[in-house]
Amino acid sequence: MDFFSQTYTALRGPTGAQQTPEETIARLADRLSPDSQLPDRRAAVLALKGLARKHKVLVGERCLGGLSRIIREDAILDPEIARAALEAVTTLIDSSDTHSDQREAASTNVELVLKDASFVHSIFTLLKDEDFYVRYAACSLLSALLASHPQTVQAAFLTAPDGPARVVSLLEDSRDLLAREALHMLTMLIRKSSEIQKVLAFDGVFEKLFGIVTREGGLEAGQYAEEALQAVDILLRFNASNQSYFLETQLPSTLCTLLYFNPRVVPDEAVPQEFALQFWNHNKAQAASHVLDIIGILLTAKGPALREGYAYTRLLIELAFASNAPTTLKTQCLRHLPADATPMLPEMVVTPYMPVPETNGEEWDKLEVATALDALIELIMHGEYNGLDAEKRSKVGMDLRATAVDVFENFVRDSSVKEAIVAGMLPPASAGPSARSPVTPLLFGLLTPPKPPPERVLIVGFQFAAIIFAHLLRHTPNCKALARQILPPSPVATNEVAGGAFFVPADGRPPPAAPEPIPEDDDDEAQTLLQILAEHLSLAFLLRSRDTWSTHDSREWDRWIIMHLCLLSQWLWEDPKAVRMFLEAGGMGVLVEQVNQHSETDVVITGLCAFLLGICYEFNREPGEITRATMHPILNRLGPSTLAGRLTRLREDERMKIVQPGYWVLPCPTPRSLTLGFMSRYEEETEIWFDWSFVDFWKSVNQTVIRGLMQDPDAPPSSSGTSQSGESVLVASLRDALSKQALEIDDLKRRLKEVTASQTTVRCAVARELEEVQAELATEKTKRAEVEKEQEDLLVLLDELSDKRKRDKQKMREAGWEVSEDEEDGDEEDEE
Amino acid sequence: MSGISWHYVLKFIITGDAGVGKSSLLVRLTDQRFLANPDPTLGVEFGSKLITIPEENKVVKLQCWDTAGTESFRSITRSYYRGAAGCLLVYDVTSRQSFVNARSWLADVRQHADPHLTCILVGNKADLASGDAPAVTLPSDTFGRQVSTEEAELWAKEEGLLFVEASAKSGQGVQEAFEVACRDILRKVREGVFEDDRSPGVKLSKPLANGVDLNQQSKSTQCCGT
Ligand SMILES: Nc1nc2c(ncn2[C@@H]2O[C@H](COP(=O)(O)OP(=O)(O)O)[C@@H](O)[C@H]2O)c(=O)[nH]1
Ligand SMILES: [Mg+2]
Repeated sequence: MDFFSQTYTALRGPTGAQQTPEETIARLADRLSPDSQLPDRRAAVLALKGLARKHKVLVGERCLGGLSRIIREDAILDPEIARAALEAVTTLIDSSDTHSDQREAASTNVELVLKDASFVHSIFTLLKDEDFYVRYAACSLLSALLASHPQTVQAAFLTAPDGPARVVSLLEDSRDLLAREALHMLTMLIRKSSEIQKVLAFDGVFEKLFGIVTREGGLEAGQYAEEALQAVDILLRFNASNQSYFLETQLPSTLCTLLYFNPRVVPDEAVPQEFALQFWNHNKAQAASHVLDIIGILLTAKGPALREGYAYTRLLIELAFASNAPTTLKTQCLRHLPADATPMLPEMVVTPYMPVPETNGEEWDKLEVATALDALIELIMHGEYNGLDAEKRSKVGMDLRATAVDVFENFVRDSSVKEAIVAGMLPPASAGPSARSPVTPLLFGLLTPPKPPPERVLIVGFQFAAIIFAHLLRHTPNCKALARQILPPSPVATNEVAGGAFFVPADGRPPPAAPEPIPEDDDDEAQTLLQILAEHLSLAFLLRSRDTWSTHDSREWDRWIIMHLCLLSQWLWEDPKAVRMFLEAGGMGVLVEQVNQHSETDVVITGLCAFLLGICYEFNREPGEITRATMHPILNRLGPSTLAGRLTRLREDERMKIVQPGYWVLPCPTPRSLTLGFMSRYEEETEIWFDWSFVDFWKSVNQTVIRGLMQDPDAPPSSSGTSQSGESVLVASLRDALSKQALEIDDLKRRLKEVTASQTTVRCAVARELEEVQAELATEKTKRAEVEKEQEDLLVLLDELSDKRKRDKQKMREAGWEVSEDEEDGDEEDEE
Repeated sequence: MSGISWHYVLKFIITGDAGVGKSSLLVRLTDQRFLANPDPTLGVEFGSKLITIPEENKVVKLQCWDTAGTESFRSITRSYYRGAAGCLLVYDVTSRQSFVNARSWLADVRQHADPHLTCILVGNKADLASGDAPAVTLPSDTFGRQVSTEEAELWAKEEGLLFVEASAKSGQGVQEAFEVACRDILRKVREGVFEDDRSPGVKLSKPLANGVDLNQQSKSTQCCGT
């Protein structure tokens, strides 16, 4: 304060006349020169520091050079001038101002100081200054510079003498404030520079970062620990060298202990309750989420060879199925569970917990032990904590179940596993002809009958049952053959689905009487699962057609019907025996009636009915009452082009269009256009219409189905072997798609860079943005793969069609006929 | 499977011109493999290996960083020198230039590294120059030897460096290069050159800290006789 008054008095001059800011700043600028005395320089810097905020432009123009020289030359001699000069520059480049001209000045100033790498070097040198305030000011200035021009600062860092060691040692500065600022700066410094990441690892940055976490008291420490773990994540994510080094240290097991998990756990050892039931709050969940991500990185990078591989896998499974961890963390656990770990599921035994009602998450009941596989299926079918909140269809809850489906899909990747599961749903062979299928949880879910009014919980349960059952059957003829023989006890108890027993006993207890009589006299002859599904479908249509339903209820019926149609399509595809069974159960009448209806019903439903009808026609190859010849006139009456139109319209529907790999839990309501006048019941409610696997299936066979609808009854099956022909076309299209994909990826990478570069001040925003773009890149890649596949199919089809057409024309010409173009009518474009 | 099976952790770095075979040497050491067309983007620039030095009755864990990517950024390489216990200074026996440049790499080492850093000069790609090494170097011949063993050996002696010729391709001399350097470091340790753990690149392995290991200690026996 003394300095100010002295300086100002000195500057004001003896007369006391007022000076303009220009004059003051000009005088101060002169005093920065090495020709003036050090105390004068110091006084000038202090005065300028005060003026910098208000007069960014002026001070920047006149004094930045002088200040920068002082930081390079004087700062090491005099802590006071060092601190003031660093702070003055920090103010001059601060772009958080509200005035746009001030912001502009800030950005001009940044560019000016960064022109000279030795300026940045000297700031790195000051990180080791004896004076705390100097270290702190240097660190803050570096943060500010990194926030606006990361690449320039990073390049300067790489050539700064001793830079890495200085940065690393700051992390253990005894002054917490500084260590935090250093961490903040470090996070920006390491982004996207594997060279910097590597050299910091060499200098022990991992050990220091974990030092922070443990010193602060673990994950409970909140944001500080979280930031340290986030830095660890960045250092490892795309850096193979650092991953290898990290695995050399003791730190991989520390990841376990941070979550109170024993890194040396052995298979038969139970997991302690202090792991399963922890105190969770938002900050801890954030920090734990980084721990899980890091575990995920290591598992992906090193696979089963990892020393902590078993412990990590076990930790993920335990946290997902048998803990009170926040739902989002459980989802994350399942996402990171390696595909090759799923064979462990049937062997591993877990102890699930349930919150005691009305204890606000403070008391928990221990449930019966179950295998992790049972827990997985339970989770998929009922939701977290046995469907405690399933009614709400919350995003986190539905995401968890959808992710569990992915784990299930990995588990049944091997067709022998699928067969074993489906075989387990058949009546025991030894029990004679009157034996019935055991009611497994899956079968129980599939048998949910349509019952008014539609129940939200049951419908989602059925959707998930159908989705995983479809995983078992899709493109797996053996499983389809087995599935046809599933003979449920009839009728099955339905009054216990929502609550009560954690698991429906697998040995099939004697079923109580049905709550509602099924309107068909089938007491003497047992129905197969497929027949029951066909019947439920027709029943649901019947119920849906009542006009008393609210919009909410109608949508629920639609959802229910759509999932039946999806499951049946995937089952009946390439399975003539199942087609026969379905047709004989009256399936055709139901479908034809729906297709015949005009606008009224949902386009998706009519589209799917046409789709299933097409599949029935195509694969109606078994002798029986309803033959292709009987179906043909009916199809003709409906009009092949009408049918094709319905199928095409399906593609346009938002519910199907926006589904992507890993994205099929949709916001409610989808389509968005419904939002006007439609209120979801709960906040953040989500809904499912199709899962990705079905959409994928549909895309890959739709053209074949459309084509099949145009065929004569005696035309041979057309679907099989299509992929053999036109291989060169396929290869070419593949190449083309790949190169396009590469371009796209490059473009995305560039965008990624731009996005991150354009972020200026708030580092959280930078982090979030980066994540988003990365996710986008990933989905984009998968989308590409899909597009590619579809393209292949189209090309093959095209090729085949034109071949056939050529041949036909040729034949016709040979026969002396006039060649007409009529056969093209409808769906396919012609290039000739 | 028990805690510690080594006595020391030694940090090594590999430097030298681009293309002399630094990455290949590291891969050879850790994976016993040679890649004719290594993918420079793969970026596996860290490797580790346990090395037994029987006459010292010691096992050391060698942690080795390849300074790749920094050839054009010498100053960052300097950051590595400071923290290392050992350095492989690599040139290519079929490239005179890489040998000439080794002098300036060495100058850097001398200026920035711990004075007790053990440095070994490695003439790589010896397989390309097998047979009788010509006494005269052939500057225009890109395939043959351009640096004679004698010349390199002499220079190493003058500079007080260890020396070995090696081939990442055949594996010849690679393990030896690291062993020779480790021995030298252990000798320095034994002679008390690094008092109080002074060299940043040498670490005595400590018993595992904190309670993590409780089960371990009761169940398993010590693996390396104390
Ligand atoms: N013949 C032969 N080629 C080698 C040897 N070591 C490396 N190379 C080849 O030299 C090239 C450069 O090797 P690299 O390890 O990438 O060198 P770096 O740039 O120093 O890391 C590669 O094509 C290697 O296959 C060797 O011992 N013998
Ligand atoms: Mg290399």
